[in-house]
Order: sequence, then structure tokens, then C-alpha cells
Amino acid sequence: MFGSLLKGLQTTWRYMFRQPVTVQYPDVKRPVRERFKGRHELKRFANGMERCIGCSLCAAACPADAILVVPAANDPQDPVSPGERYAATYEINMLRCIFCGYCEDACPTNAIVLEHQYELSFYDRRSSIYTKDMLLVPQDKGHGEVPPILEQLGRQPSPPARIDL
Amino acid sequence: MTDVTLKIDGVQLIVPAGANIVDAARTVGIEIPIFCYHPRMKPVGMCRMCLVEVWVPKLDPATRQPTFDSEGKPVMSFFMNKLQTACTAVVGESMEVRTQTERVKEAQRGVLEFLLTSHPLDCPVCDKGGECPLQNLTMAWGPSISRFDYSDKAHFKKPIPLGDLIYLDRERCILCGRCVRFEDEIADDQVLGFDYRGRNWQIISKSDPPFDSKLSGNTTDICPVGALTTADFRFRARVWEVSSKPSLCLHCSTGCNVTLDMRHNQLKRVMPRENAAVNDIWICDKGRFGQRFIESPERLMQPLIRRGERLEPATWDEALSLVGENLTAIQRKHKDALAGLAGERLSNEDLYLFQRLFREVLGSNNIDHRSGAPGEPHADDLGALMGVGVGTNLMELGANTAVLAFGVDPEEEAPLYLVRLRGIAQRGGKLITVNPRSTKLDRSATQKLRYTPGSEHHVARALVHAIFAEAGMDRIRMRVSDEDKFRAALKGASIVADAAAAGLSEEAVREAARSFVEAENGIIIYGAEALAAGSSLIHDLGRIAVLAGKVGRANNGLITLLPWGNSRGALDMGVRPHHKPGYITADQRGLGAREIWNAVAEKQMRGMYVMGIDPVYENPASREALSNLDFLVVQDLFLTETAQMADVVLPSAAFAERDGTYTNAERRVQRARQARLPVGESLPDWMIVQRVAQACLAVIAPEMEMAANSGKGKARFAKAADAKATTFESGWGYVVVSEVADEIADSVPGYSGITHTKLAATGTGGIWGRQTNESFYYDGTSYTNFEGVGIQYPALVEQQRMTFSLAAREAKAPATDQKRSFVLIAERLLYDGDPLLRDSLLIKRVPTAYACLSAADAERLGIRTGDRVLVESSVGALELPARVKAHVPTGSVVVPANLPDAPLAAVQTGPQTSVSVRKV
Repeated sequence: MFGSLLKGLQTTWRYMFRQPVTVQYPDVKRPVRERFKGRHELKRFANGMERCIGCSLCAAACPADAILVVPAANDPQDPVSPGERYAATYEINMLRCIFCGYCEDACPTNAIVLEHQYELSFYDRRSSIYTKDMLLVPQDKGHGEVPPILEQLGRQPSPPARIDL
Repeated sequence: MTDVTLKIDGVQLIVPAGANIVDAARTVGIEIPIFCYHPRMKPVGMCRMCLVEVWVPKLDPATRQPTFDSEGKPVMSFFMNKLQTACTAVVGESMEVRTQTERVKEAQRGVLEFLLTSHPLDCPVCDKGGECPLQNLTMAWGPSISRFDYSDKAHFKKPIPLGDLIYLDRERCILCGRCVRFEDEIADDQVLGFDYRGRNWQIISKSDPPFDSKLSGNTTDICPVGALTTADFRFRARVWEVSSKPSLCLHCSTGCNVTLDMRHNQLKRVMPRENAAVNDIWICDKGRFGQRFIESPERLMQPLIRRGERLEPATWDEALSLVGENLTAIQRKHKDALAGLAGERLSNEDLYLFQRLFREVLGSNNIDHRSGAPGEPHADDLGALMGVGVGTNLMELGANTAVLAFGVDPEEEAPLYLVRLRGIAQRGGKLITVNPRSTKLDRSATQKLRYTPGSEHHVARALVHAIFAEAGMDRIRMRVSDEDKFRAALKGASIVADAAAAGLSEEAVREAARSFVEAENGIIIYGAEALAAGSSLIHDLGRIAVLAGKVGRANNGLITLLPWGNSRGALDMGVRPHHKPGYITADQRGLGAREIWNAVAEKQMRGMYVMGIDPVYENPASREALSNLDFLVVQDLFLTETAQMADVVLPSAAFAERDGTYTNAERRVQRARQARLPVGESLPDWMIVQRVAQACLAVIAPEMEMAANSGKGKARFAKAADAKATTFESGWGYVVVSEVADEIADSVPGYSGITHTKLAATGTGGIWGRQTNESFYYDGTSYTNFEGVGIQYPALVEQQRMTFSLAAREAKAPATDQKRSFVLIAERLLYDGDPLLRDSLLIKRVPTAYACLSAADAERLGIRTGDRVLVESSVGALELPARVKAHVPTGSVVVPANLPDAPLAAVQTGPQTSVSVRKV
């Protein structure tokens, strides 16, 4: 009986001197894989213009019907995005999203990217809808830099579809 | 025509001679891709997409007979040794067409590769993306790569406005010329053309104002790329996201079938819905762009009740009980002191219940469907009683048809009739226009009779007698009376004198009569100017049709262009003082709109219920009268000028927010479906009328019960005695609108059997639509008709239930006046001051008022374009800027009707007014 007790404790002692596999979330956050598909971001061009042109192809590709795009015409004097069209409303329902990344595939301008942010919890359904303000990166960020994983592999990201805007 | 047997890709088929290969192939489901060819227009072979191999039997040069090989098969030769365009190549006997050979495919890939060398890749931005033939044909037939240097692509500045409604993106244009050809051939507006050369070749507008066509929106539908897009739909949605709801346009009496493309309860665009017997695949710009009023922020959201000087929001219960109490109180206290007006854009169900409310609950026949403005013509019955027969299809008529267009300007009154009548003339029919001034239809006419203004009756009489001289009495196909009177009148009449009085030659009248009598099918179409001349003229038109034997069968009869989408329905539903539904004479005649206003002015009338019509706007004189009323209920979409004077305002749902049936000029009953939710607390009109009836009955029924108990109850309310069962037993318990339609189908003569279920099962209206293997005609832009094409109910004359009097009716001689020598012609414009054009792009096209004079008159009076003139009648005067126009007949002054800055009601004494004109 005593022997079995010691046998059990042996495992305990052994693990006492090892690195723990758990992390102290939320104080410590485990890094995700480079290709992890987390929360979406709407990127910008280097000149600060929105990449999204409001074409709704992401919404069309979305298997969960989580994306809503309402397009509008750009003001030629003060365009939001290159070309004639931009997304006046861009919303993603994070409760519906299954993070498949089809929107990313469909996007002709590489505007929508599933990034590494995974902390997506809400107190009510309404706040699960991420609006364009929340998804859009700040003016000076997200100009389509090469992701580190591709840099490691020495590869370039696939270029956006060639479109004449 | 003889038939031709040929083979396409090994499939043997027989088609009529003269068909082209694209159409022939389509009959057996073989796709030949096309861009420029459109089955409604002449083929031009511009895009080269339809190239095919054509093989014909080889002829022996000596004998001109086919040669045969050793096996006895005819020897085939490759026609012209080149690929042929299938749209321009006509089928031939024993021809063999090959559409799938490598030679053909290579040519098609080449055409697409070339087209794409100067077509930008901006599909994600383009509004055509998703319903674009170029996208689809590239996917299906094109090469997957281009050998062209990307940087050498032709680029132009992004869209330029081709007009205020249509944008042209020149780099997207593939120069198929469909738009140019549509405007030239179908719309008869030579406003588009090609300009520049080579890679700069582009579409331009030749007119001023640019792209001045009332059918311009159709060019965006038939554009095979996104070169032409409407300003109305620009970037509003992607086409695959909208849901199409079948509906109708109510802006004129054509009754065009449309789909309302909705997204998130918002109207994104209006598209035509195919109906071969009504609008084919076209709609006019008013129908396409003029429906934005349904989303106007000015729409009424909730009932309003007058408290002191102000109209304040209230609940439905408050408003309805107030209406019920007041209407019944007036009915009890005063005899015959209630009147109702209902508009002509309401559905049959609304109008039917409205007359039931007045006749059955309020015991009054004082109802009408018009505002009683002085310029309004008499109500037209003949257009329904002797209307075109069941099965009439103007799109199929051609040779053997004669159309008499009398006093009508279809371009302004109902643009689709311009397209359809022009089509008849193009297909070899006779089109005779009889007008005091030139209209656009004249350009398509085979014969024009231009009479002097005010002499309509002389023209009609001359025509009647000329027709009699041609046909005698032999062609009459219906019961007629007063033959002796007719013959007696003939003795004193002379065609020469009548023709001369109208400024026409006898020969011209006789020629018109001959064409009309000799044609197998004859249609008389008349509009505002004929109606203005009075019922005796319309009776004369009826006599022409009867004598020529052109009534009571398909493709024969009368067509009246009434002003609004359900004008015919309003007459059918008996919203008029002397007729009950189905043109049955009422037991007791009530007061019509004009008499109502007199009675209101004399304080005989105490309460009014005004639904979907704005009499104060149309007839400003009624404003003063309305203040005499004790109680006024207005039910409308907007706080109209009449509504501002009301005691209770009830918000109604627009046509797109409810189901309903509407009857068009050719008596075709069609159904419109609900496309969006009613705004605010608004309710469908039929529902409001029902609730008003219930509110009235709630007051009446208990009293009736008391009366019945004391033995004085009226039979009419006897069954309504039980207050609890009131609504159901008295027939005011409709739950859905189709129950009202069912009741109409049961009780209104002519409408029997026309239920919503039946209407929905009336076919798909034609051959377009988005179907497998048919995509190559119109891929994308869907004309699919899921809602049925409607039912044309038989005219009375077809049921042999009518006797027509051949005697002429007394024509009211136009009051000639030395001082007022001009005839005032109120010209109906398509883009007029119609309040329902609000929020649309068409507002910019509404002209400012003017008075048009002929060059001769203007010179005599020393008036030049831009001068201000005073148009004065016996009742009032109007100062307007003058325009001198060639098309205006001498002795008349043309002023547009229904413009806010030209309130004609102040001047008019009737539909035809004599006025004086002088420079100020």
C-alpha cells in the first residue's frame, strides 16, 4: 500500500522539476502558429488608403454568411479607397464566423486578413458584430508587410489580383 | 413562310426561312455565344463572337444542282471559305452548321482575347459584375491567359455621364452598338452614336440635353458589359445580393411588369420583368427611376389627429374610433352629406372596399376616383366595353394590322406604347396618327392626319362616314341600334366638308379609312387629347371600330390611355357616382367629383374621406371648399396639401409594401407582390378601409340593434345586428388581401375567376429568363417572370352583352369667342409635377412651365421665345414664359399639365378651354 503511494508520488516529484506545459493565461499568452486564423483585420495601402473596395466577394464566399458589406461611391476629391467604390459598411459577425479564411482567399486586394488575435468573447450577441472601425487597422499600420513565416521561408505573399482601379 | 431544313452540329432541325443561325440553333438548345446580336434588333455582326462554320451543298456549275459523291451523299463546301457570323447568316436549305470545331473555337478565343486587350479588370468594382455576359463568355469560351502586354491596355478616364441618368465607362465598352441600335430602332431617339476612331472609338451622345431618351435605362440592361450603368443603382449593391420581388409600375396605364430588387428592406433598383403582352422586356425611365418615393423620409409613419391647429401623432385605435364616430354622426344628422375620393394608383382591392364602405356602410353614392379639376376629361367607359379582345398582343402584330392613334402622344403618356406601336409599323402594319400637333409617334407612322385644333369631331365624323363608304353595314359584328338615325345623319353629311373643316383633304381621310377597313386587325388607341374632346368623340371612335368590324375579337378594339396605373381598375371597381363595380348602373346616382366640390362649397357636404389622391394639389379651388367640411379624413403616403387640412390622417402602405391587383389599359389584371415591410405603422389601404368600416359598424350596429328591437331596423343592417358578429357577418372580416380579390372574382362581372392564385399561375411571359442554355441571350440581367403575366378579362362586347348605338352623340361645340381665339392644349408630360417623382433622379428632368405657340401666331403677336405671355380665359389668367415651336398648330397654345408652376386649374373651364394670349 505504502509502495503504491510512493509510486504515485514519484510521478509528482518527477514533474516538480520539469518546465510546466501550461501557461498563466491571461498573464502569459502562448504564441500561435504563423498560419493561425484569428480575428480579421482590414488592411491599408502604404499611402493610407483602405485596401477594401467594397466588392462583397468576401461576403459571397463566406460559407457562414457572417460578412455584411454595403458599398458606396467614392468621392473623387476625397477617396477612401482606390477606384470608384468603397465599403461604407463592413461588418463581421464573430459568432457566425467559422474562421475558414475563404474571405481572405476571395479578396482581390488582400484587404481582409485573418490575424493572430484570438480573444473574441462577448457579453451579448450585439457586441459580436465587429464593425469597420474595429476591423480597420490604424492609418500607419498593416500595409501588407510580408508575414514572418514567409520571410523565414524566403517567399513573397501571393500578389493581390491584378485589378485596374 | 416556307420552312428550311438544316443541320447544326449534326442535329437536324426545321425552322422558318429567313431565321438566322443563332436563333435557329437556340431552338434545339445549341449555344452560339453573342455580344452584339439582340433578338429584338437587326443583326449587325459587329462583335464577331458568333463565328461558325457554314457548309453548303456544292453545286455543279453547269446544272446548278447539288453534286453527290460516290456514296450518294451530297458534297459539301465550306461557305466562302471563311467563318460566318451566325447572327447575320440566314439559314438555307440543306445547310450544315458546325459550332464546335477547332477552327470556330480558336476564332472565339481570339475574339475574346482581343476584346480583353482593352477591357479593364475591374470586375470587383463594376456594377455589372455577376451578371455580365463578358465575364460569363470569357469563362465559358475564352482563353485563360492573354498574350497581350498588360501595360499596353487602353485606359480612359473612369465614367463620364452620358446623360444625368446613365454613366458611360469607355474602357469597359466593347463597342457592340446595342445601345445605339436600341435607341435608333426601338426607342426612336437618335441620341447615341459612335465617334473617334481606332482605339479611341467610343459611344457619344448626340443630343442636347445629353442622352435625351425616355427609355434610356434599357440600354444598361442590354449592355453586355458594365459600360453603361445607371446613376440610380451605382454601387448600391452587388447583383447577386438582391432579391427580386415581382411588382408593377403604376406611373401610367401600361402596367409594365417590373421587379423590385431589394436588399435589407431597401429598394436597390427596378428592373423590367418580361411580359410579352405588356412591356416585353423594356420599361421606361419613369418606371425604372421614379419609384424612390416609397423610401422617402417624408412618408407618414403613424396616424395623425388634429388637435387645435396642429396634427399630432395618435394611435390607430384613437384615429379609427374618431373616424368611425364622426362619419356615422354626419350620416345620422345630415342626409347625403358624405363623399369619398379615391386615387387611381390604388389597387383593385382598395377601390372595391372603398366603394363598399360608402355604398353599404355609409349609404352614399358620392364617390369618385378623380379630383374634379376643371381640366379632367369625362370618365371613359368605351375603352373597357369595346376594348381590345382577349389575347391581344401588340408585340406580335405587324402586316394586316391598322392602328388609328387618335389624339394621343404615347411618348409622354405611356412610353411603352410608343415602342409597341412603332413595332407594329416596323413589321409592316399601318399606323395612322390623327393629331393636332406632331408627336414622336408621327415619325413611325405610315399616314399622318394633322387636323386643326378643336376640330376633332369633324375628323372623327369624316372618318366615320368614310368608313361607312368603304364598308357599309356588312362588317358590323355586334348588336347595334339607331341604324335609321345613322342613315338619316348620313344624308346631310359630306366627307369633303368635314375634312375641310379639320384642315384635311378628302383623299387623306378616305385613304385612312380604307387602310383601317382593309386590315385584318384594327386597333384604335386614344389618349388625353381625344378624351379632352368629350364623350361624343369617343363615341365616334367607337362607331369607327364597329362599322369597320374591328371589335369583339383578339387584336381588335379600342385602347384608352388613361392617366394612372389603375385608372381602368377604378372604373371597373365602380368608384364613381353612377356605376357599381363592373359598369352596372347604380340604383341611385350620387355626386361626381365636381358636383361634390359644389356641394362642399354650399355646405351640403359635411364629411369627406380622401384616399390616395390630393385634390388640393390638382385643383387648388378645392382648398377653400375643404374648410367648409365638418370632418375630413385623408389616407395617403405623404402629408399632402389635402392631408394638411384633414382632421384625421391615416398612413397607408405604398404599392411595394403590400399585395394587390391592378388593371391596365388593355384590361389586363396583374398582381404586384409585397417587396418590403410597410414603413412605420402604415397599413395597406384595403386594411385601413376595412378598419374604418369596422369602426363605423361598431357605432351603427348597436343602434341598429336597438332600432331592430323597436321594429324600425333597416334590412341592410339587420344581419349586422349582433355587435359581436358585426365584422364577419357584414363581410368586413378579411384577413388577407386575396380574400378581397376572391370576393371581387365572385361578385364583379368580368372579373370572375381572377383570383390571386389564378394570376400567379399565368405563365412566365416569354422566352428570356435565366435558364440553362439560354444564358447567351441575356446572361445575368434577369427578366424572369415568376409572378405570371396577368389575365385579360373579356370586354363586354366580347360577351355579346352590349348594344351599341350608331347614332352620333351631340358634340358640344367648342365655345368660340372673338376675344379668346386660342385653344389651350394641356400637354401631358411624362416627367411632370407628379409628387411621386420625389427623391428620384428624374426631378432634374421636370421642366419649368412654358406656353408654346406656333411660329405664325408668335410672329403675329410679336412674341419671341423667352418673352412672358399672359394666357387668359374667362375664369382666370396665368403668366408664363413663351416658347415658339414648329410643332404647335396655329391657333393653339400648349401648356404642360400638372406642373406646380403652371396651375392650369386656375385657367381651365373644361378639358378644352378657349383662351387669349398676349405679351406682357
